Amino acid sequence: MPKLKILSIAAVFIILLGYVFVSAAELPKWFPFKKKDSLNEWEEKIFKGRVLYSVKATKTDGYLSAISKNAASGIFYRIRFNPKKTPLVSWKWKVVKFPEASKVKLVVDSEWIEKDDYAARFYVIFPKLAFNLTKTLEYVWDKQVPKGTILTSPYYKNIKIIVLESGREHINRWVLEKRNIYDDFKQAFGLEPGEAGAIAIMTDTDDTASTAEAYYDEIRVGYKNGTE
Amino acid sequence: MEQNRRKNKIIQGPIQKKLLLLVFFAAVIPAGIITVCLYYLIFNLLAWQIGIPEAVAYNLIPVAQKVNLIIMITIPIALIIIWVIALELSHRIAGPIYRLEKDLDAIIAGTKKGPIQLRKNDLLKELADKINKAIR
Repeated sequence: MPKLKILSIAAVFIILLGYVFVSAAELPKWFPFKKKDSLNEWEEKIFKGRVLYSVKATKTDGYLSAISKNAASGIFYRIRFNPKKTPLVSWKWKVVKFPEASKVKLVVDSEWIEKDDYAARFYVIFPKLAFNLTKTLEYVWDKQVPKGTILTSPYYKNIKIIVLESGREHINRWVLEKRNIYDDFKQAFGLEPGEAGAIAIMTDTDDTASTAEAYYDEIRVGYKNGTE
Repeated sequence: MEQNRRKNKIIQGPIQKKLLLLVFFAAVIPAGIITVCLYYLIFNLLAWQIGIPEAVAYNLIPVAQKVNLIIMITIPIALIIIWVIALELSHRIAGPIYRLEKDLDAIIAGTKKGPIQLRKNDLLKELADKINKAIR
């Protein structure tokens, strides 16, 4: 019986250890989108309709293109890292076309779910054991909402939207974003963040029933200053 | 047999109480652990599968709220059912113990001579038969 006990404990320990090693990511993770098959390591997640994500690769460079026509789907990459140790995330994005204003008349001003479309979104997801406690930082490029605004998603209180770029000033130009997700999380939620578990990208137009186009490139995840 | 019918479901206080709680918690604790594990396992797997946080909130949270409501309604019913079953089971063990003890007291005191009779569905019948053989 004691042998069985020891074996059981050892088995659980090995499984947990295996989980930690298998899921620990090599950091920093860099996505240059230079190869045609760069999207193979990403998972496609469809919400409403399918956005066309494709890698536009040339001989020397490349980027990720997203064209959304009345659709909302994203690409998703699982990566575990500690935002306290490696808090930086950076990427380049370029908006070519913004979603149009909602054709749906809002009943109440606060019901802004109908206009919850952004030309470009970059997510950092902080999963918890209980799925409903999972928190998300969502960096967006919006047409109107002022830069620096932090909103709570109309879909769920645990999704905080941080407007990084606003308006058409930089349209059709690559803009580099570098964020300290540890600080952003604390500012948005007023809490210490747990481990980050995934990143995602989405260009969506389902709520406004319009079209949008944006490009993404040079995504770098989980590093600190001087280690990029 | 009918004359031995017990109307009171709590007869052998401390022993039955122990048995009752043992059976009750032996059913409730594993059931509770399995429910919580399955609940979070299923919803977490679904959440990871859906991926996009808005989609999780839009599709999964309402489902979870409905499931929570169903659980809130069914848990008290399930607890009552488990309690009734535990009471019945503990009664089937504590009842014969009470009868054995009472009859043996009466036999020792010389006020009873006949065999110890247990109810049809009572447990410990073999033990009663052996005692009956011994005191014959």
